[in-house]
Amino acid sequence: MSERDSFLHLARPLGPAPMGAQPSTAPLNVVIQPQAIFSILDHSLRRPVDQERVIGTLLGTRSEDGTEIEIRNCYAVPHTETAEQVEVDMDYQKSMLALHHRANPREVLVGWYATSSELNTFSALIQNFYGQQGDGTWPFPAVHLTVSTAPGKEIESRTYISAPIGVTAERAADSCLFIPVPHELKYGEADKSGLELISSAKDREDRTQAVYTDLESLERAIQHVLDMLERVSTYVNNVLDEEATPSSALGQFLMNALSLAPKVDPADVERDFNAHIQDVLVVSYLANTIRTQIDLSNRLATAALTLGTGDAPAGDAGNTRDGENKGGRGGRGDRNKGRQQRAQEA
Amino acid sequence: MADAPKETPLKAVQVEALVVMKIIKTSAQTFPSIATGTIVGMEVNGVLQITNSFPFPAVDVPSTDGHQDSASNAAAAAPRNKANITYQNEMIKFLREVNVDANNVGWYMSTSMGNFINANTIENQFFYQKEMNERTIALVHDVSRSAQGSLSLRAFRLSPAFMTAYKEGKFTTENLQKSGLRYHDILIELPVTIHNSHLVTSLLHQLPSDAPKEELAFPPNLAALQQDPNTPQPPLYPNFDSLDLSIDPFLEKTCDLLLESIENHHTELNNHQYYQRSLGREQAKITAWQQKRKAENAARAAAKQPLLPEDEWQRLFKLPQEPSRLEVLLNSRQVEQYARQVDGFTAGVSSKMFAVKSNLLPGE
Repeated sequence: MSERDSFLHLARPLGPAPMGAQPSTAPLNVVIQPQAIFSILDHSLRRPVDQERVIGTLLGTRSEDGTEIEIRNCYAVPHTETAEQVEVDMDYQKSMLALHHRANPREVLVGWYATSSELNTFSALIQNFYGQQGDGTWPFPAVHLTVSTAPGKEIESRTYISAPIGVTAERAADSCLFIPVPHELKYGEADKSGLELISSAKDREDRTQAVYTDLESLERAIQHVLDMLERVSTYVNNVLDEEATPSSALGQFLMNALSLAPKVDPADVERDFNAHIQDVLVVSYLANTIRTQIDLSNRLATAALTLGTGDAPAGDAGNTRDGENKGGRGGRGDRNKGRQQRAQEA
Repeated sequence: MADAPKETPLKAVQVEALVVMKIIKTSAQTFPSIATGTIVGMEVNGVLQITNSFPFPAVDVPSTDGHQDSASNAAAAAPRNKANITYQNEMIKFLREVNVDANNVGWYMSTSMGNFINANTIENQFFYQKEMNERTIALVHDVSRSAQGSLSLRAFRLSPAFMTAYKEGKFTTENLQKSGLRYHDILIELPVTIHNSHLVTSLLHQLPSDAPKEELAFPPNLAALQQDPNTPQPPLYPNFDSLDLSIDPFLEKTCDLLLESIENHHTELNNHQYYQRSLGREQAKITAWQQKRKAENAARAAAKQPLLPEDEWQRLFKLPQEPSRLEVLLNSRQVEQYARQVDGFTAGVSSKMFAVKSNLLPGE
């Protein structure tokens, strides 16, 4: 799914184009954000027992010309499907859309999803409903996303747009031509940390993972880098020993990577290192001092009455003001890059 | 609450992967202002399972009111907003139709640099624990800390002691002494775990992961290596962002926030001192009045006249109201939070720095 399929559009997609407008020949590109997929998978798990597939509405953003579609969100829509007929809860779809609009005014209706790869007459019917004028995505094509959720098989997703097709006028409503369009799964910078945590649980039996600390994730990242370095150096050694096949491309790549290492004077390194480590330690020290002072202040404030009302709170106030001054100096010193002052404090 | 021992107290929070992603998305969208929303789920044997979430509608800030403070205040107060409660109930009603756990178990908020312990958060959580359901939690997602590497998602509740105190609304020195409430006791943090459904696990195995273990075919040239679409993406786990070596922005921001907290603390202390002074003044006045009255009464007794009442001072003088110490408590808790945050950061960054140093200066 993460691999991009390559698509060659020999004919331009026959999506509906507004009357009179110059139909664009640029291919449609669909980007799916992971939370939409997660939401679809969750919906699939919660489907009624007697239902093979469930459907829902896709929300997202669309570029001005309609060639870039980003699916950001989705919600489930109840529907029932029998051999003869399909029923979609239109009222539900409309009110839910309104509710989502209140929370995310920028996300518009872009299409719908189904949790099976199958395309049938009902798909066409629903597709025409989503792409219609008025409530639908007209004049842009409605995107249909299928995510196969068959147990024990790979999850496969496909995206389609449709073109009207119909042999006779009465069959036009429940038939359309699904045109596959390329899509990719993209995650943003902000999603990264979340996905990291989620995927760290993927190899575990219980499928759970506790939220870990910064230090733990650092340790794991370093361990991983070390492993990879180890692998590369083993390979290079093997090449040197003429045990592995050399590759000039790989050699070039490694050369380029190594040349990125900065050349710095040891004295500079030493100086910068000391300056920075002092910054870090001083801030940590001061933060803890302040914490202690605050704690002391609180204890004194509540201990005041047992000693008599008059003098104790004043003493307590004096005490914390001292702490405030200390912290203030340290913090400001850090901001003004007052290195000397900080050195004194340390 | 007092009757809590009958049931098992909440021990842990289990968050579904979907909820994590949804919270991250809304938080990132509204950054730097605060995002809030509702979480739904259910409780099983003291473990609160959170299975879905949705954001509250964006707060409409009148354009004339360009003041940023009021905007962020409005955003932070969103969970208590009447319109949002209606929205929430309506949404839950719709979610029930598609078999989502229709059970409100709390709310979430986004924050930056751990700066979330304030009156607004407390009030929201109090509102939830009091009005809705005692077993509700607040999920706090820290956007800036998550950007540095590992996800920061924490669950909090108000402690029963604090709930009682907050209900009475009295945070005087005397009350605090009696209840022994300290700032450590305001919030209880619950451990958070992430849970994936089978389908999500299946999906994750298709996403970029470790570099392939087997031997690969050699690329014919450098360009092919760099442009090959099947070159594996950096894996999601472990996250190499945590190797990033930026120190100053974090320290600077934390220092700013710490200073701000200290200033608040100072203001509160000044208020308190002012109160003490005026209390002292009033008391001195009362004593003077009482002595005068006593002397007068003694004179009257000598002259066999009826005595004047000696407790009239209660009507004549009014003792000043003691300022609430709640703000001080919250502030202290916030400072503690910052200090711990700095500690955690220092631990990571100093080891990273030593690693870099020994890399650049080998053999030392």
